Amino acid sequence: GQTGKLMYVMHNSEYPLSCFALFENGPCLIADANFDILMVKLKGFFQNAKANKIESRGTRYQYCDFLVKVGTVTMGPSARGISVEVEYCPCVIANDCWNLLMEFMQSFMGNHAPGIPSVFGTKHDSIYSPADTMVQYMELFNKIRKQQQVPVAGIR
Amino acid sequence: MADGVLSPGVNLEAFSHAIAAIQALRSSVTRVFDCLKDGMRNKETLEGREKGFVAAFQESLHSVSRDLGELERLSNLVGKPSENHPLHNSGLLSLDPVQDKTPLYSQLLQAYKWSNKLQYHAGLASGLLNQQSLKRSANQMGVSAKRRPKAQPTTLVLPAQYVDDVINRIDRMFPEMSIQLSRPNGTSAMLLVTLGKVLKVIVVMRSLFIDRTIVKGYNENVYTEDGKLDIWSKSNYQVFQKVTDHATTALLHYQLPQMPDVVVRSFMTWLRSYIKLFQAPCQRCGKFLQDGLPPTWRDFRTLEAFHDTCRQ
Repeated sequence: GQTGKLMYVMHNSEYPLSCFALFENGPCLIADANFDILMVKLKGFFQNAKANKIESRGTRYQYCDFLVKVGTVTMGPSARGISVEVEYCPCVIANDCWNLLMEFMQSFMGNHAPGIPSVFGTKHDSIYSPADTMVQYMELFNKIRKQQQVPVAGIR
Repeated sequence: MADGVLSPGVNLEAFSHAIAAIQALRSSVTRVFDCLKDGMRNKETLEGREKGFVAAFQESLHSVSRDLGELERLSNLVGKPSENHPLHNSGLLSLDPVQDKTPLYSQLLQAYKWSNKLQYHAGLASGLLNQQSLKRSANQMGVSAKRRPKAQPTTLVLPAQYVDDVINRIDRMFPEMSIQLSRPNGTSAMLLVTLGKVLKVIVVMRSLFIDRTIVKGYNENVYTEDGKLDIWSKSNYQVFQKVTDHATTALLHYQLPQMPDVVVRSFMTWLRSYIKLFQAPCQRCGKFLQDGLPPTWRDFRTLEAFHDTCRQ
């Protein structure tokens, strides 16, 4: 009886030696890059879901202490959207610098600047970690998967 | 032939004669060795051959000594080159013909010009700096030992226990600020101040006077590979490099030579205002970012946040 839960295995070029495994609302595991091979060995316990591999590729920009990564989201051979990631590196508490980030994003995105991400709501004063970035990417990719083939800009 | 204008001590005519004399000497020495090589001439009797050989050999040796004497006489006439070499040994260095591989002389000239300029600028700077008295301690320099009162308390030499007590009391003052004191290098205290989860400050002290500060991010490493406090490397983030500059300004601003503990307290109070570094907008322009930096300046009296370009 239990309905299968989806587990996402993700890689981030900012952390090349790590592999992230996360559940929808559950914990996120940060593992060594060899985790992929381990998953192959555990084929008996996990079924590979039908969904295709989805990835975002693009350029990485640095402005003062900000890191901006603009990428094209592709699923298989087709492009599905654009992803923009903005990180303010000196600050480790997520909620502290949201206003600052908003001001920065509005300066180049105008009306497309997003609302506050859900991960910020759950953690009040705890330190931001790479797992939070992966959760946000996972939500974005799921949103893009659910959409039709018409490419729409999906921004976090 | 007139003497050369560049080196009036050198007798150029005698010089050319001396060169000719060297050539004559060379040829006579060659003749000696030729004579030896040729050996005895073919004559009728052995005695005649020997005599002929010895006579030829003697004659060539005489000509060698004659030429050598002539050369010595001329060399005395040539004279020394003039002594007014303004460059002395470095001028000899400039005669090196291989300029590409050993550009020593040109480098020497550049180094000399640079150090002259440095001396000049340093003189100007010290003149300007002396107009403002920057002495923060209570000691008086330049007062002779006779006039200085014998029992003057100096705040530059305070017992370590007193410094520890002052710092501990300040540590308890603010809940979000914690201060760790260590003495890895001798008697001067090194403080590691952690302000909430925003930043870390390394403060190097000299008895109770603050000497230097370095401000780094909360997630940056403040220790060297040995595990000691790293007091030299700057932060990786521009915002904290800016705050470091402001902190240095602050430690020069708060001055009270007789009461250094009040100074430390004021400095820590000022530093504590940075807990809202990323949350407070600038009081003048109302925005958060200016050139990519948040308001990094905190007014010394009111502790309000301003952008570096917005203050005054």
